[in-house]
Amino acid sequence: MKKLIFIMVILFAGALIAQPSADEIIKKVDANTVTDSQIAISKMIIKGRRGSRTVEAKTWQRGSNDSFTEYLAPAREKGTKMLKLGDQLWTYSPSTDRTILISGHMLRQSVMGSDLSYEDMMEDPLLQNMYNSKIIGEEKILDRPVWAIELTSKKDDISYDRRKVWVDKDRYIILKEELYAKSGKLLKTIDIHEIKKFDGRWVATSLTYKDVLKDGDGTQMQLDEIKLNQRIPDYILSKASLRR
Amino acid sequence: MLIIKLAIKNLLGAGLRTWLNVIALSFSYVAIIFMQGLYAGMNNQMEASTIKVQYGGGQYWHELYDPYDPLSLDDSHAKIPNEISGLIKNNDAASILINQGSIYPNGRMQNILIKGIDPNQKILAIPTHFLNNQNGFIPALIGGRMAKSSGLKKGDFVTIRWRDAKGTFDADEVKVVEVINTEVSEIDNGQIWIPLDKMREMTVMPGEATLIVLKQNSQFTKNLSGWEFKNLDFLLADLRSLATTKSAGASIFYFVLLFLAMLAIFDTQILSIFRRRKEMGTLMALGMTRSTLIKLFTLEGSMHAVLAAFAAMLYGGPLVWYLAKVGYGLPASTDSFGFALGDRIYPEFTALLIIGTILLVLTVTSIVSYLPTRRITKLKPTDALRGKFI
Amino acid sequence: MLKFLFKGLVRDRSRSLFPILTVFIGVALTVFLYSYLNGFVSDMIKSSAHYNSGHVRIMTKAYSQESNQSPNDLAIIGIDPLIQNVEKSYPDMIWTPRIKFGGLIDIPDRNGETRIQGPVSGMAVDLFSKESRERKFLNLDESLVKGRIPEKPNEILIADDFARRLKVAPGDTATLLSSTMYGSMVMTNFVIAGTIRFGIAALDRGAIITDISDIQKSLDMNNAAGEILGFFKDDNFDSKKAYRIRDSFNEKYKNSEDEFAPIMGALPEESGLSDYMGLIDIASFVIIGIFIFAMAIVLWNAGLMGSLRRYGEMGVRLAVGEEKGHIYRTLILESIMIGIVGSFLGTLFGLIPSYLMEIYGLDLSFLFEKSSVMITGVLHADVTYETYLIGFIPGILATVLGTSIAGIGIYKRETAQLFKELEA
Repeated sequence: MKKLIFIMVILFAGALIAQPSADEIIKKVDANTVTDSQIAISKMIIKGRRGSRTVEAKTWQRGSNDSFTEYLAPAREKGTKMLKLGDQLWTYSPSTDRTILISGHMLRQSVMGSDLSYEDMMEDPLLQNMYNSKIIGEEKILDRPVWAIELTSKKDDISYDRRKVWVDKDRYIILKEELYAKSGKLLKTIDIHEIKKFDGRWVATSLTYKDVLKDGDGTQMQLDEIKLNQRIPDYILSKASLRR
Repeated sequence: MLIIKLAIKNLLGAGLRTWLNVIALSFSYVAIIFMQGLYAGMNNQMEASTIKVQYGGGQYWHELYDPYDPLSLDDSHAKIPNEISGLIKNNDAASILINQGSIYPNGRMQNILIKGIDPNQKILAIPTHFLNNQNGFIPALIGGRMAKSSGLKKGDFVTIRWRDAKGTFDADEVKVVEVINTEVSEIDNGQIWIPLDKMREMTVMPGEATLIVLKQNSQFTKNLSGWEFKNLDFLLADLRSLATTKSAGASIFYFVLLFLAMLAIFDTQILSIFRRRKEMGTLMALGMTRSTLIKLFTLEGSMHAVLAAFAAMLYGGPLVWYLAKVGYGLPASTDSFGFALGDRIYPEFTALLIIGTILLVLTVTSIVSYLPTRRITKLKPTDALRGKFI
Repeated sequence: MLKFLFKGLVRDRSRSLFPILTVFIGVALTVFLYSYLNGFVSDMIKSSAHYNSGHVRIMTKAYSQESNQSPNDLAIIGIDPLIQNVEKSYPDMIWTPRIKFGGLIDIPDRNGETRIQGPVSGMAVDLFSKESRERKFLNLDESLVKGRIPEKPNEILIADDFARRLKVAPGDTATLLSSTMYGSMVMTNFVIAGTIRFGIAALDRGAIITDISDIQKSLDMNNAAGEILGFFKDDNFDSKKAYRIRDSFNEKYKNSEDEFAPIMGALPEESGLSDYMGLIDIASFVIIGIFIFAMAIVLWNAGLMGSLRRYGEMGVRLAVGEEKGHIYRTLILESIMIGIVGSFLGTLFGLIPSYLMEIYGLDLSFLFEKSSVMITGVLHADVTYETYLIGFIPGILATVLGTSIAGIGIYKRETAQLFKELEA
């Protein structure tokens, strides 16, 4: 869920006179993505072989590493909570009143049946920490001029060895993203359909996340509400709040 | 010596009945030898093929490796110890690297094991030489069962995804260069085989392995820190206990068959003692002691077993010889049930089996023949001569 | 005439007791061996049917293509009407839904935090309905090691070895972490009701059994199930009938484009046992053949013996003028009676150990405690309709055959010699 928020929350940046370097662009994208804190309500529309269903969640997020998600709908998932602190992930279900650390191969499972896995949620959202960047072209996406930037990993413990991002030249928001395996094989794509401005920042409000190795139309995500720079009390981002 | 001659004479003199008993008893021989031979052949074959394609002369496992826990695979790999590297260089061992992965046949994810093996290894009888075919793609070998469950066939490309040692996702296409029909499901179900070097490169685990298979009859059993040696007794325990159950199940069958044959012998003995009381009386009158008489009758009875052995040899011999040579054909897909069997079973008839069976039947027949003769001890020659019997 | 012969048999022990005893023992052995062999085959079929494929099995087309991975997202939805439908169409079968699932079992410590986890494979079956036979099919009562069978919702059985590894005992809580049929991660608390030993090592390593309603609730599979198994009411697999049912069922959905349309498979193809079953059929035919032959020889021998014993009697009867043919016929008639009585008793006594072995089995599992092979260590016998009859074939046939050959001796006897013989 957090990933979604990071992708969506993009700051609008002032126009620049000269063409910036790829690194500068990515730094700006990062700066726009990560807020001190945010509270968002979003939907995930998961398309399966037997029709689609919608999962709704509220997420509290602080910095780039910690987040707390509570599912609101459908009724079955309501009350299920998820806490991410650094590189650890816990889940809580009210019916069992159990808090379980998700580890090992459970991390490979998909989130609520979507094309997103829990591993994807554990990714560091700050691109500049992980990748070297290079502008490889200029295109138009959603009628907006964009830079196509290739990101190659700086370190060897990064899930996706290479990415391609298409960054809106004016708004410094990613409009399209492709995630590649080390071999160069395309693994996942993110397509942004709509962006809106909240509190002075541009945020993607609708996107499709797709695991291209799997059949299907991917998972659609929608941001219904977002409040930026809210004060999030410490107790929310703690294990105790899972059982609250 | 005299009583032996006498016994043979009497026995052959009884004609048809003797031969019927002999035939019934000979079935026991043939059945026991045939079935035990079949089981022995089957078990040895299962063991042999499992050793050939999977266990070799024993294995060193990384200390964290647990074949039943795929979660253990993330951590159960390490650099091959120097002692082993030497063995591998001399073609005395082969290393296998195992990792988890997913394949996407028809757009659905299937979790599998990826196993890396040296295409030029000579330790396991897996046709890994097919993996030398690396023309711009990663070659993969899969087993027949895996081909069935994934719907893949020779020549197909399939996407495979894995994570390297550091956790980075990687994916590529592999080409199924050959579907191998193996009898051993453990090298088939839910796994694909790729070249070891490629695998190490893909997972960034240079020089590492999960387990090391030693050459058959290898004497190498050194303690290596971080690795545990598993000998064949350990590795084959499952297979052997299965074999024990099977032959225990079958032995009920010959036990019953033998019992039936013994019933016939017992019958015959009672009958002949009953019918030949006059003869016994005469023999006793001529000076034969009771114990000699008992010996004679017991001998006659147990002689059935000797004759039966010859009879069994007569018709069972060619059958056994033929089967041992040509084998016992099995329908093509018998192994889908998971037994490591080839298309044919070659029964194994060892001298020990044949001699043992003869001794067993002879002993049992002698005991059964003896039991009714105890009545003779109560026999009075005068009564016997008059045809009176107890 | 019959009455007269019967009296003779009853009064002369040597005429009746010994031959009957022989027939009795021989028939009892035949019957036992036959049911044992049947048991050998049907054990394999039964364990396949009970644990895996049923006698027939309904799945969705999509599920059937990946059935070895138990893809519950492709499960049958709307099982109630489907079961009602097949119950009506094939009334001599019982139908029962099952869900196979995988996941993690998570055992909490005192504070409700994870103490230990382990991968689990589960089977959800109908444990609670009165008419359900799953308890018997899965042999649960006999396999119970500790505790009891689940009686109320959210109770599970867990493999004993697995329980020991997780260090849990009946009464403890275990949380199942799995995915719903729509892919959501789900947690469900269960109470361990009992531990069982499957005797199938693959299951003993990490399996649980739950009631299907719990799993339907937990995995969001309301009115859905991965598989619907059909069993013949007498639990004996009849391959011809099974294939007929399969064909008639599949005919209805032949033209359906829907990948979730149901499709039925029969046991041999579902379990991969078909060729193996053919092989066993031939083997048991040969074995039974040899056995009946051997048995006939024994009884023939007994017949010979019987007529030899009564050598004197025959002499007297011939001497007083009874026709040879008449004597011969009475002998045959007697042998039929002996055969019937002997076969009857033999069948009766052959059935006793067979039934005992069918019910209790011969436990050989101690022979392979460490094993991981998918086979049970308990040998069973299987008593079928044929078992009741099989003994009569060698029992009567062999007795009559034996007597008729033995009786030929009568025709060889010279009247003139009779008194001489009788003097002896």
